[in-house]
Amino acid sequence: MKSFFWENLRIALSELWGHKTRSILTGTGIVIGIIAVSLMSTLINGVDGLFEESMKFLGRGNLYVEKWPWFGDEDWWTLRNRPRIELEMADEIKERSQYAMVVAAERGRSANLSYKELSAENIYIHGVTANYPEVSTVDVEFGRFFTESEDRTGAQVVLLGSEVAKTLFPQGNPIDKMIFAGSKRFRVIGVLAEMGKFMGAFSNDTQVIIPLATFNKIFHGPWGRRSITVKVPEHLVEDAKEELRGVVRVLRGLKPEEKDNFAINQQNAFRQSYQGIKLAIGGTGMIITALSLLVGGIGIANIMFVSVKERTREIGVRKALGATRRQIQGQFLIEAMVITASGGLVGLIISTIISMAISEFLFPANMSFGVAFMAIALSAGVGLFAGLAPARKGAKLDPIEALRYE
Amino acid sequence: MSLIQVKDLYKIYQMGNTEVRALDGVSVSIDQNEYVSIMGPSGSGKSTLMNLLGCLDTPTSGEFFMDGINVATMGDDELAHIRNKKIGFVFQTFNLLPKSTSLRNVELPLIYNGEIKAHERRDMAIKALTRVNLGDRVSHKPNELSGGQRQRVAVARALVNNPAIILADEPTGNLDSKTGEEIMSLFDELHKQGNTIILVTHEEHIAAHASRVVRLLDGKIAVDEATEKGKK
Ligand SMILES: Nc1ncnc2c1ncn2[C@@H]1O[C@H](COP(=O)(O)OP(=O)(O)OP(=O)(O)O)[C@@H](O)[C@H]1O
Ligand SMILES: [Mg+2]
Repeated sequence: MKSFFWENLRIALSELWGHKTRSILTGTGIVIGIIAVSLMSTLINGVDGLFEESMKFLGRGNLYVEKWPWFGDEDWWTLRNRPRIELEMADEIKERSQYAMVVAAERGRSANLSYKELSAENIYIHGVTANYPEVSTVDVEFGRFFTESEDRTGAQVVLLGSEVAKTLFPQGNPIDKMIFAGSKRFRVIGVLAEMGKFMGAFSNDTQVIIPLATFNKIFHGPWGRRSITVKVPEHLVEDAKEELRGVVRVLRGLKPEEKDNFAINQQNAFRQSYQGIKLAIGGTGMIITALSLLVGGIGIANIMFVSVKERTREIGVRKALGATRRQIQGQFLIEAMVITASGGLVGLIISTIISMAISEFLFPANMSFGVAFMAIALSAGVGLFAGLAPARKGAKLDPIEALRYE
Repeated sequence: MSLIQVKDLYKIYQMGNTEVRALDGVSVSIDQNEYVSIMGPSGSGKSTLMNLLGCLDTPTSGEFFMDGINVATMGDDELAHIRNKKIGFVFQTFNLLPKSTSLRNVELPLIYNGEIKAHERRDMAIKALTRVNLGDRVSHKPNELSGGQRQRVAVARALVNNPAIILADEPTGNLDSKTGEEIMSLFDELHKQGNTIILVTHEEHIAAHASRVVRLLDGKIAVDEATEKGKK
């Protein structure tokens, strides 16, 4: 039986080679289908990795008390009119919450920075409390973080994100240099390790960190982000969220019938909405794949019927010389599968190239071995399915009728 | 027990209102290692009979036993097996695969034999082509060969498996008398080796190689007698 496989493969290859244009056109549907499916799964894998990477910035056990919920469909005007978060609540929260391990406060806005003739524009100025490193993933590469007393006294010290450091100090050590934010002078006390982008878009490396008290002293306006981060034990995060909600309501003096006028955000919100997006992308991908494979499969079935018809005499000769039904059927099935598997292979190569380009320019998206294997198996499966009816038709031909066919 | 036994074989084609009796009640039996030639005017049913004996066609009615087994009861795979291993068929119209070389064409029965390795197949096919004097035409395709050469490829293909029965439908029809005689001495040799040979011909001197001649007329056996050679 094994030898027929090779024989049939040989026949299939020379037959397809003899009808190059036809084979290419026939395989195109499969190529598209395989590109769709393999690229889609590669993208989802890539986005998954990106997502998990980004989620590290938001600790699992972190609750963020903020004015705006991260997701939701509440009325924009209602949200807009909420009072802003009083960062002073941080101490009260720490005192009243049983779950809170660390409570950090932060503000942020953008500004332009300069050092001598070099400048960095639109830099996110992040005013945080001294315990910020405990609730985030910031990592000081050179120098040090600021101290509690520096925060209390509003010292004009700054830590530079790695990109900012590169921009303002292309060479040379930034530590102890004085940079300007507007008219205010800051002494650089540290440089942050590179952190990468959040969701592939917002760079964490173009920020600078200053003490919250300093921020408050300099920037008076109501603008910018304000957030209180409450770190709680990861496994108790849901209970802690309920407790925190109560604490903030009390602090804000809300009556029982009044709705919350603040949001408590957490990583989960991202996860849930991400799952939704992923499902939508995946679902669309599946539909595109299924449709193009279906259309491709129909095209192949069609061509195989034509091929069987054209080669009726050949089938007659083969049967007259002792080919069994199975052997004839195998011949046409393998031919169909060779078309689809080659289409699958071409599709795979194309999507590998595309995913390499995506990795290069957007985010890491590597084709996994599993995806490649699935793509080839899927395309061969389509061939098997599409070739079945034509192959059976050929195999059932009566030898003498087939020989007489003109 | 005869190798081939045919009883009251009919093959009737219904062409609209008229029916064509290609075979009109043929009964014949042929023993192992017989050398039979079938003759008769054009349209007398010779090819029709050969196709039936070759297990390629099915009769309208009548019985056909091969080795005592009723061919009508055989399954598809069994018939394929017999066509492959037991019978070597030379078609009147050659029936070569047009896109394949002589070598590939001759190899075909060996491929479907399923037990012969690729390099052995090649050797056997080259040997068969050499026997019909086409050792130098192995990589020619049918359209690159003369009519006589094609016929000889068809003969080589029928011999290559060393089948017990050789059914040859006008195997020398396109050959000059010298080449024709060469092919006939090949058949004579195979006959001496114990093979059964049935051949269709229009030429008396070709028929004279056989020991028995069956003459068909309008689908019926008109004469079934020993030749000069057979009488000896
Ligand atoms: N498929 C068919 N449909 C209808 N009639 C057929 C068919 N095949 C053969 N016949 C008829 O059967 C008769 C016998 O044909 P056959 O081919 O057996 O003749 P033959 O003896 O081999 O002739 P020749 O010497 O010309 O090859 C012919 O009259 C032919 O027209
Ligand atoms: Mg004939």
